[in-house]
Amino acid sequence: MAVKPKVAIYWLGGCGGCDEAIVDLNEAILHVANAVDIVLWPVAMDFKYSSIEKMNDGEITLSLLHGNVRNSEHAEMAMLLRRKSQLVLSFGACANYGGTPALANFRSKKDIFDWVYRDSPTVVNPKGTYPQTISEVNGKTLILPEIFDHVYALNQVIDVDYYLPGCPPPPDLILNAVSAVLSGKLPPKGTTLSPHMAMCDACERNKTKPFKLEIKEMKRIHEVEMDNETCFLAKGVICMGPATRSGCGNTCVSTNTPCRGCFGPVSHSCDSGAKFLSAIASLLQAENDDQVERVVDTVVDPAGYFYRFTQAASILHKFDENKNRRCP
Amino acid sequence: MWKTECGGRTRVEPAVKQFLPPCQVQCPINEDIQRTNVLISLLPEDPNAALEGVQQIGDYLYERNPLFTVCGYVCGLCELECNYSSQGGAIRRRLLKRFISDSYTYNLDEKEEFNIIKNKENVAVVGGGPAGLMCAFDLSKRGYRVTVYEASPRLGGALWLIPQYRLPEKVLTAALENLVRIAGIDVKYNMRIGDGKLTLDKLKNEGYKAIFMCRGTPTPRVLTFGKDPLEGQDLSGVMYGHDFLYEVSHGNITKDYFRGQKVTVIGGGNVAFDVARTARRLGAEVSVVCLECENKSSRDGIPADHEEIKGAWEEGIEINYSRGVKKIHGESGIFKKIECPLCTSVFDDAGFNPKFDTDDTMFIEGDVLIITVGSGPDKLALEKEGLLDERGRLAIDPLSLQSKTKEWIFLGGDVRKIGFMVEAMRDGLYAAESIERYMRGLDMHEGRTRAFEAQDIPKSRHYKHEPDVVWIPPEKRMHFQLFERGFTLKEAREEAKRCLTCGPCISCKACISIGLQDELPTVTVHEERCSGCGICTSICYYGSAQMKHVGDNKVKSTTDMFQCKACGMCVVACPTLARELIGCDLETKFNGALAAL
Amino acid sequence: MDEYKPNILCFKCNFGWGYLDDKTEVKAIVKNMVPVTCSGKVDTTHILTALKGGADGVLILGCNQGECHFQDGNYQTGKKILLIKKVLTSFGIEPKRVRMVFSIDPDGNKVPMEIEDMRNEISPFGPINIGKCAMAS
Repeated sequence: MAVKPKVAIYWLGGCGGCDEAIVDLNEAILHVANAVDIVLWPVAMDFKYSSIEKMNDGEITLSLLHGNVRNSEHAEMAMLLRRKSQLVLSFGACANYGGTPALANFRSKKDIFDWVYRDSPTVVNPKGTYPQTISEVNGKTLILPEIFDHVYALNQVIDVDYYLPGCPPPPDLILNAVSAVLSGKLPPKGTTLSPHMAMCDACERNKTKPFKLEIKEMKRIHEVEMDNETCFLAKGVICMGPATRSGCGNTCVSTNTPCRGCFGPVSHSCDSGAKFLSAIASLLQAENDDQVERVVDTVVDPAGYFYRFTQAASILHKFDENKNRRCP
Repeated sequence: MWKTECGGRTRVEPAVKQFLPPCQVQCPINEDIQRTNVLISLLPEDPNAALEGVQQIGDYLYERNPLFTVCGYVCGLCELECNYSSQGGAIRRRLLKRFISDSYTYNLDEKEEFNIIKNKENVAVVGGGPAGLMCAFDLSKRGYRVTVYEASPRLGGALWLIPQYRLPEKVLTAALENLVRIAGIDVKYNMRIGDGKLTLDKLKNEGYKAIFMCRGTPTPRVLTFGKDPLEGQDLSGVMYGHDFLYEVSHGNITKDYFRGQKVTVIGGGNVAFDVARTARRLGAEVSVVCLECENKSSRDGIPADHEEIKGAWEEGIEINYSRGVKKIHGESGIFKKIECPLCTSVFDDAGFNPKFDTDDTMFIEGDVLIITVGSGPDKLALEKEGLLDERGRLAIDPLSLQSKTKEWIFLGGDVRKIGFMVEAMRDGLYAAESIERYMRGLDMHEGRTRAFEAQDIPKSRHYKHEPDVVWIPPEKRMHFQLFERGFTLKEAREEAKRCLTCGPCISCKACISIGLQDELPTVTVHEERCSGCGICTSICYYGSAQMKHVGDNKVKSTTDMFQCKACGMCVVACPTLARELIGCDLETKFNGALAAL
Repeated sequence: MDEYKPNILCFKCNFGWGYLDDKTEVKAIVKNMVPVTCSGKVDTTHILTALKGGADGVLILGCNQGECHFQDGNYQTGKKILLIKKVLTSFGIEPKRVRMVFSIDPDGNKVPMEIEDMRNEISPFGPINIGKCAMAS
């Protein structure tokens, strides 16, 4: 009798959407469940950390880790599962690049705590109670996971074998990835398991781009009348498509929403936000030189837009031991 | 100042089909206009420091065109095709060249000889005009021993027809004298071929293995009405424009030679206006009579340049358009007046075929009549030498300029086809190449037809207008000094900066010649990364980054190598790193600087 | 007492700055200088990598507006700089740490002065602090 490969699915600093995506495999999930032995899946099954700790190193064939590393529990579990697994799949935008929560890196931990627990208009906290890592409760010492001052992508904490991008990754990509592992037909370590081209390659709207694309003024999506054929950039709406990897099935674009870049950068680019900034700056056109600042000002919150999903992997903020290495 | 190089990796390589900026396509000798424009734009602001740079630019031009100092005063063909004319005005290239010449001419006497080793055959050049001199210069550089046979006491040929208010004598003599000195060319003056004693066969016997015949057009055309020459062209007071201008150039005519006299000039070409404006400066009251009409864009339009007509009009010269000359009236052997019927049309489908309405006739009186209706080659001499065909035309292979009757004779310049100075120079260079091939037994025709394609204008947000040309006010012009003000250093730099460098990098290489870059980078596209987003196409100013169709309804980025300037903007704007500059050392230098932080 | 001297990484356009210099003088005085054929070649990734790599400031010396040899390289980079400044503010980095100068200086004599100028402007900010990147445990 063949031993079923062990699979762990664990959430770190995420929203649970990635678990939803796995459940979205619908009937296919039953095949998966039959083919593997799930040893950890907090959202769906009842296993304890101690059962993982008792395993041998490398006993788990595949760990799917989604969510970023924001506190000490995430870090601990990530490192634990890394020890116990042969392959670690960084699952979803948060694990790959930090995801939307990584936008918190634009503020310090103190700033965030002050807002959430004291300054926000709807907060009523007269005693100024803040979460503490160590506190006394009823005469006993309570130790909570420590919130780090920085949101980390998974590969900044442990060694990652494969990446599955998306927020969340679409069901077909998940199925392909898992099947590849189970059948042993794996690409080289470090590959992102998604088509490598940028969105424009897969997007129907690309052919309506004018020959010379010029943006005189940047607009928000709600400020334009959008049809389902015109390229967003041609209408002055920021669409991260040119700098974002494809493979998502164009869900946003086909429902008149510009791409927000959740699939992260293409293979050779290390910082899609920076490259997109260069691209957008080239497209901005001012009537004359003293109008340039005004036109650039129509790009509202560039950092938030360009780094919406990839802040933790940005050149400036990524935790990288080889500080002087220019990427890629 | 700069460490300029002309050879090696900075050499501009010729190719069978070559892309060039339109100015260089138009120039008959394909001079490196773009390169010199870029170099001029990079001159320093301090005039003293700039002198060295001007010298270097001049040296570079001189290598291929020893008469370039003259071009800056009299040519300007390139400006007719300049792409900028559609956007605010052609680059004033002639004035830029004149700017270099203004300094360079005065250093020509000190320029060192080339000291070429002449170990090849002897070649004779008959005719010391621009065609002959260019041929002699080129052949000398290739190692031939060249002797120029010049009929008059001075070199220069038809260049002496150009009045000094357009081409100062110093510029011309410095160019001519130093050319033969620097290239080591032997000149025999007062040797007219065909004068009985001296024939081409005799030259052959003296050991010349090939001869370039470029005697130009020494014979002025006589005035005709219908088919017959007019009577009265030998009256006193009647002369030919060409003879007149040559006399003036010798300095034989005093300043007020025509004071109080009425001079009538017949002719509508540039030479006629040279005559008219020269006569004006000698004190005459001048009127011009020409067949052609005033509207330059019609088939019958007056051929003279707009600047000449404008200048003449400013100087008070009267122009009578659409008039022919039916009769020259004289009294006791002295010219009195001409009879001018209205010319209703000059050209028809058959060619030159003027028609007149004799009912509308005016009489123009005068003291002097100067006939300037063109000039022709010395057909008698050509016939005697056996160079004409049975129809009386030059028997010549147009592709190699080799005579069809005597294979060791080559012909070019005005004698072959009347044209501009630079066209004669082109013939000279062309014949030099032909002579070399003939001597070395190579094929005469291979690779000679070169098709050039002109590049388009780059896109720019800052098209500027051309600067105005400044002329001395007409009332102050009655002398033979230059009336056109040349560029100052500042103006030259600004105008040269306006040049959009339409031509491909490989035919310019200005930046490499002064060490701004080590090599010309090329842009390559990694197609597996290109998603067809088209952002590169939007940002490219040179029309180089383009999208091409690949199967499956997709597009991918490509680069037109000839349009590309390797400016790197497409590389920076590409969101997927699909475009890369090969041969650019930015990354190496950047990483080095980072490491040193 | 050691006075803090900001490290400036300088990109210098060859067509506008220092092309008459003998290639040794300016380079000897100014360390960390990257000559480029056009300021348009400077990418966002270069600037951000420089800041991450220890440069306290990045200075780009480009040609006057309308005088770029490649038509508009300086204009393109100018637009990028404006956007980068906004992004740097979000990252908690002083926008003045990135500066672009549009001028011309064939002798390169003014380059050390431009760098000194920028040093004076950003030294009150202290060394660059991209920080917050060390693992807390």
